[in-house]
Amino acid sequence: MIKHDVVVIGGGLAGMRAAVEAAERGADVAIVSKMHPVRSHSGAAQGGINAALGNTAEDTPENHAFDTAKGSDYLGDQDAIEAMCEDAPRQIIWLEHRGCIFSRLPDGRLAQRPFGGAGSPRTCYSADVTGLVILHTLWEQLERFKVKVYEEYFCTALCTEDGVGTGVVAYNMLNGQLELITAKATIFATGGCGRMYAKTTNGYASTADGLGIAFRGGVPIMDMEFVQFHPTSLKENGVLLSEAARGEGAHLLNSLGERFMFKYAPEKGELASRDVVSRAGWTEIMQGRGIDGCVLLDLRHLGREKILERLPQIRELALDATGKDAIDTPIPILPGMHYTMGGIETDKFGATRVPGIYAAGEAACVSVHGANRLGGNSLLETIVFGARAARHACDYIKESGDVRPSERTLKAEQERIDGWLSKNEGVRAPQLRAQMNKTMSDNVFIFRNEKELKKAVDDLLEIRKAFDRDVYVMDKSKTFNTDLVHAMEVDFLIDAAMCVANGALARKESRGAQARTDYPERDDENWMVHTLAWRQEGQNPRLDYSRKVTITKWAPTVRSY
Amino acid sequence: MAQVKLDIFRYDEAVDAVPHRDTVEVDVPVTMTVLDALETAKAEVDGSISFRRSCRSAICGSCSMNINGVTGLACKTPCKSVMNDEGVIQIDPMPNFQPMKDLVVHMDPFWDKYTRLKPYLQPADRDEDHETERRVSPADMKKLVDAANCVMCATCYALCPVVSVDPSFAGPAAIAYAYRFIEDVRDGKKKERLAQINEDYLWLCAHCYACSYCPKHVDPHDRIVDVKRATIQEGVMMDHPGPRHALVVNKTIKKTGMLAETEVIQGTVGIFNIRGLAKITPLAIRMAVKGKMPPPFLRPIPKVDEVRTIFESLEVPT
Repeated sequence: MIKHDVVVIGGGLAGMRAAVEAAERGADVAIVSKMHPVRSHSGAAQGGINAALGNTAEDTPENHAFDTAKGSDYLGDQDAIEAMCEDAPRQIIWLEHRGCIFSRLPDGRLAQRPFGGAGSPRTCYSADVTGLVILHTLWEQLERFKVKVYEEYFCTALCTEDGVGTGVVAYNMLNGQLELITAKATIFATGGCGRMYAKTTNGYASTADGLGIAFRGGVPIMDMEFVQFHPTSLKENGVLLSEAARGEGAHLLNSLGERFMFKYAPEKGELASRDVVSRAGWTEIMQGRGIDGCVLLDLRHLGREKILERLPQIRELALDATGKDAIDTPIPILPGMHYTMGGIETDKFGATRVPGIYAAGEAACVSVHGANRLGGNSLLETIVFGARAARHACDYIKESGDVRPSERTLKAEQERIDGWLSKNEGVRAPQLRAQMNKTMSDNVFIFRNEKELKKAVDDLLEIRKAFDRDVYVMDKSKTFNTDLVHAMEVDFLIDAAMCVANGALARKESRGAQARTDYPERDDENWMVHTLAWRQEGQNPRLDYSRKVTITKWAPTVRSY
Repeated sequence: MAQVKLDIFRYDEAVDAVPHRDTVEVDVPVTMTVLDALETAKAEVDGSISFRRSCRSAICGSCSMNINGVTGLACKTPCKSVMNDEGVIQIDPMPNFQPMKDLVVHMDPFWDKYTRLKPYLQPADRDEDHETERRVSPADMKKLVDAANCVMCATCYALCPVVSVDPSFAGPAAIAYAYRFIEDVRDGKKKERLAQINEDYLWLCAHCYACSYCPKHVDPHDRIVDVKRATIQEGVMMDHPGPRHALVVNKTIKKTGMLAETEVIQGTVGIFNIRGLAKITPLAIRMAVKGKMPPPFLRPIPKVDEVRTIFESLEVPT
């Protein structure tokens, strides 16, 4: 049996930042990850990370917090937002002093670029590979502190004893053994769940693992109806073209060659917040001003030199997928599923309602993003709240007693997996995944209405039941059984999708990324509350609105860009 | 849509004595990548086909494999660019690694190469609570940018013929990663890093350029040359045969316009290195018997001055 004081599930930015913080504090910490840490999807983040350094224009953490609260359509908890924006400059400096390769100004300070919904240029970056360079910096710190990483271990279940978290059960992919990993504090940093949709900017590995595990362990999931659709993803494969393109001055054009964004956001145009730009692009396409179901991202006027220096990756990604070179051709793009503002409910310290269980990054919902996240705030959230969750976990383990291993959970998990492996007929997880992808993409997209959302809720419940009843795994091998791992991922994704669809159906208003055509207005009187979803075996989740939004400085007002 | 026939290496280290091959047919648009085709095959035909993948946008480095005998990222390779007239694409695990299951290999030796190099910034000042960023000029940062694009996919490591004959060689990716610290003005351990990389057989690189085939344009070969140059410029490990070899080749060509092999051997091994010289004596005797022994002294070629002028114009004042 494996035992550590603190165990971090997930090796992306939030997970590694948490592990490094715990290691710096001298805690016995380990990472458990289904991939090598440098494979994590944080590395695909392109545009940058926000901090009010004020290096190129006047800026303050308070301005950053206001932009974030406004971007959240006033659903973000402002105490957490203020804490994040206050900590941001310190965290960027922390990364820089550990060798992070940020782009620079001529005087040697960190460069900052404009981003959507931001009042000043406050996005620090490294060309368009910001996620990758931060991912590498944190992995380097793991090497420095010799943090133990259980690589290619897939977590399957949360262990609790007497209402206290005691670790996880994990499947060792190298030999097919289930193992008990006992810990006084467990931090979930497992990223997003884009794979519930057919087209997403997310990689194959973004499958709601931590979310599903915590949900089953009795932790509520919050605000899942708020799904961010990124305005500029490639039609061919859903791959992201960074907001940095628009930050550097790219235009969005419709079939008439018109810069349509100023119709929707007279002041900010292309640099309005993402929910606004996605709705605008989709409206243009729906009203017949698209080209083959897309609008165009035009970089041509930026010039070859600037594109190659600042946006080389997205130029190559577009070239590989479409054969079009952004230097001399506009690239067809459309909105695609990108990010879940919701996640495992935590307080502003990263703690969940279950003692000993923490969450950070996209897997968590603090909530700093509310109904819509600003570009550049997701990397920031991983760093700030990864460190915070670890700090509080380290304090917690000093007080908490020893924990005993949950043998019964291990046994239950072994039975669950053996059940799937012993069956030779039924339905395979990829088929159910395809059904889920279809209903989510058709019925829970940018514009929503009661009829479609009901259809999604019904479909998902059927898929849930079919999975529980009929699923089987074709590969029986004990070596690197990804067929089994994918089945567990789909299992978690179905739960997450049910939270999205049920939350969206119940919330009868339009706010941020939730746009209801049947309830087009924001309703502050009734809906300044978070959606909490509690799992009910084989049924739709139970929704609860007991958590009110925390307002500190900025009362909700009309939101325009 | 077109029919793609994936001819896949199949193996499970826990049960198979030897590998076999399966052909799996899938209908996919030919603009799709080899990874998309594999994913479709796994979802629709045979769930046991095993491979690593994550981002499908050439940034996570998971899906490096041999496609028609050439190592590369499956997510960056369109089917149409590699299928033959019958639609067949041959897929194998990366070479230079021990196969685990199908296209999945044991990556540990590759990661170990990084760990040995202490891959983290070691600043000269250890005080880490700073109010502001360190100032680094855009030019100094730009030197690191190409190396920073490395996604650790191990394509270069799989393609490296030196790794295949001597697994103790650090390999292109780790040397490029070392370069990233060696050239970082914020790092305080340049000499120690150069010494370590010399220990890890930097000079075994044969400059075959195989690693120039890099999906992320990191071009590890150029970084290897940069690290070798830095070793000489910093005067690190100058008693090592590697730097000595480089310098004596340089010297003899400058002097005579030709490679003076006898002098190169002496210079590389060391005139006073009795054991080293004794080791190559049998070779020298065999070469002499076959009439292949190069003359001990060479007369400079005509117009050797022109060669020297080239050298002088290339030499960078240090």
